[in-house]
Amino acid sequence: MGIADRYAKVDRDVLAAMKRPGRVYLAGLAFTATLVVIGGALWAYQVRSGLGVAGYTHPVNWAIYITNFVFWVGIAHSGTLISAVLYLFRARYRTSFNRAAEAMTVFALMVAGLFPLIHLGRSWVFYYLIPYPTQRQLWVNFRSPLIWDVFAVGTYFTVSLVFFYVGMIPDFAAAKQHVAGIRKKIFSVLSLGWKGTEKEWRHYGMLYLFLAAFATPLVASVHSVVSWDFAMSIVPGWHTTIFAPYFVAGAIFSGTAMVITLVVPLRKAMNLHEYITDDHFESIAKILLFTSLIVSYAYIVEFGLASYGENAFEKEAFRYRALGEFRYLTWAMIFCNSLVPLTLFARRLRRNITFLLVVSLLVNVGMWLERFVIIVTSLAHDFDPYVWGTYRPTYVEVGISLGSFGLFFMLYLLFVKNLPVLSISEIKEHL
Amino acid sequence: MAGPMVFEEKEKFLERLRGLVREGVPGERIRVITPFGVPEVEEILPRGRSKVRFFALVGAASGTVTGFAFTILTSLSWPLIVGGKPIVSLPPFLIIAFALTILFGALSTFAGFLLLSRLPSLRGIRSGEEFGNAFVILVEDGERQ
Repeated sequence: MGIADRYAKVDRDVLAAMKRPGRVYLAGLAFTATLVVIGGALWAYQVRSGLGVAGYTHPVNWAIYITNFVFWVGIAHSGTLISAVLYLFRARYRTSFNRAAEAMTVFALMVAGLFPLIHLGRSWVFYYLIPYPTQRQLWVNFRSPLIWDVFAVGTYFTVSLVFFYVGMIPDFAAAKQHVAGIRKKIFSVLSLGWKGTEKEWRHYGMLYLFLAAFATPLVASVHSVVSWDFAMSIVPGWHTTIFAPYFVAGAIFSGTAMVITLVVPLRKAMNLHEYITDDHFESIAKILLFTSLIVSYAYIVEFGLASYGENAFEKEAFRYRALGEFRYLTWAMIFCNSLVPLTLFARRLRRNITFLLVVSLLVNVGMWLERFVIIVTSLAHDFDPYVWGTYRPTYVEVGISLGSFGLFFMLYLLFVKNLPVLSISEIKEHL
Repeated sequence: MAGPMVFEEKEKFLERLRGLVREGVPGERIRVITPFGVPEVEEILPRGRSKVRFFALVGAASGTVTGFAFTILTSLSWPLIVGGKPIVSLPPFLIIAFALTILFGALSTFAGFLLLSRLPSLRGIRSGEEFGNAFVILVEDGERQ
C-alpha cells in the first residue's frame, strides 16, 4: 500500500466511528442518559428538601459527594499525564491514547465540578466562592483550601479544554473533507479555517509545546490542592504531610485505570487494533503498576506514621480504619489497589487485554473506596469519643453518584460518535 | 501565482522544496501546505522561531503578578484576621498566583497562536479548496533571481 493510501486509510478508520450508531451504542446511550435523569431528579429533590435527605449526620458532614469530587478530579489527572507529560517525554505510544484521555479529563472535571455544588446544599449560592467585587466590599478568604480548589480546578478545566480543542484543530480540518451537511459546517467552523501552511504548523508546534509545559505542573498541583482540603485541617487521619504526593499518585493511578476501562471497549467497538496495539496497552499497564506501588507505599507510610508516633488520636484513627466498622471497605481497597495490580508484573498478564480491563475496573472501585474510607472513617471517629458517629448513605446520595457515572459515560459516548477519537495528524506523522 | 505543485509522498515533496531553494527561489515566495507538521520544512525554509513563546512568557508573568496583587490587595482592603493568620499570608497566596500563572500563560499562548497564524480565517472556513493528504508547494509570482 502506498503512503497516500495509508494516509487515506487513517482518515477512513478514525472517521468510521462517526457513521450511524448501532443498537449497542444507542442502548448504552439510553442507559447512561437514564442514570443522568435519575441523578438530576434526585438532586432537584435534594435542592427542594434540603441536605437532610442526604445521609449526613454529626460528625460525618463530608461523605459520598466529596468522595465523588475527589474521585472524578483524580480520574482527570491521567488524561493530562498522557497528553502533556508523555508528549514532553516524546513517548510515541501516547498518540494512541491522548485524544481519548484528554476527552476523559474534560468530562471528568465537568462531573467533578458538580459535586461541590451538590454538597453545598444551597447550590444556588455557589457564586459566593468566586471572588468578585460586591457592595459589601468583602472578598473571599484566600487562606481557605476551598478557595484554592476553585482556582486549581477552574484553571485545570480551562487549560484541559484548551489543550483538548487545540489538539483537534488540524483534525477538524482533515475531518471536514470526509463529512457532509451540518457536520461539515460545524467542523469547518471548529477548524478555524486551518489550512496546514508552514506558518500555521510552526506556531502550532510552539503552542502545543507550551500548553504541554503549562499543563504538566497541573498534574502535580491540582490534586495536591485537593488533598489540602483535608490535610489543612487537624482531623486525625487527614492531617499529614504525605497527603499531597499520596493523592497525586492515587489520581494518576485511578485515571490510568479509567483510560484502560474506556479504551479497551473503544478499540474493540471501532476496530482500532491497528492504531492501539497490545504494546501500547502494555506501556499503560506499566504506568498502572508503577503508580500502584507508590500508592501502596503511601498506605504503608500512613499506617507507619500513626503507629510509630505518640499521637493517640492518630493511632486510634488508623486502628479504626483497619479494624472498625468500615474495615471491609479498607481491606477491599487494599486488595484492589495494592494486591491485584501486582499481577501486572507478569508480562503475559499485562498483555492480556481482558485481564487488564478487569484489573482496571477493580482499581476504579478500589480508588473510589480509598477516598470514601479516608473521608468517612476520619470524620466518624475523631478526638472525642462522645461525638463519635457513623454514616450510611441514603438513596439520594447513591442515585446522584450513579447519575455522575451516567453523565461521564454519556458524554464519552457522545464524544466517540461526534469527534475524531484519535489524533489523525499525529498518527500520519508517525506512519 | 504559479499552479500548486502537489506531492503524495513527503520525500518527493522535500526533494522538490530543496530543489526550489537551490534554484534560487527566495524563501518568502514559497508557501507549503502539509497534512501534518514536517520539521524538515523549517530546516529548508528557516523562518526563525515562533514568537508564540513571547505570549507564553508575558501571559505567565502577568498571571503571577495578578495572583499576588489580587490576593494581597483584596486582603488589605478589609483586613480581617482569620484563624490567627497574617493578613498578607504569602504561602496560600502563592497557590492562587501559581494557578493564575498557568491559566493566563495557557490562554495567552493560545491567543498568540491565533493572532500570529491569523486564525480564525473566514476565507479558510468558507473555502472549498482542499488538498487532503497531499503535500503542496505554492510559489508566488516574481522574478527568479
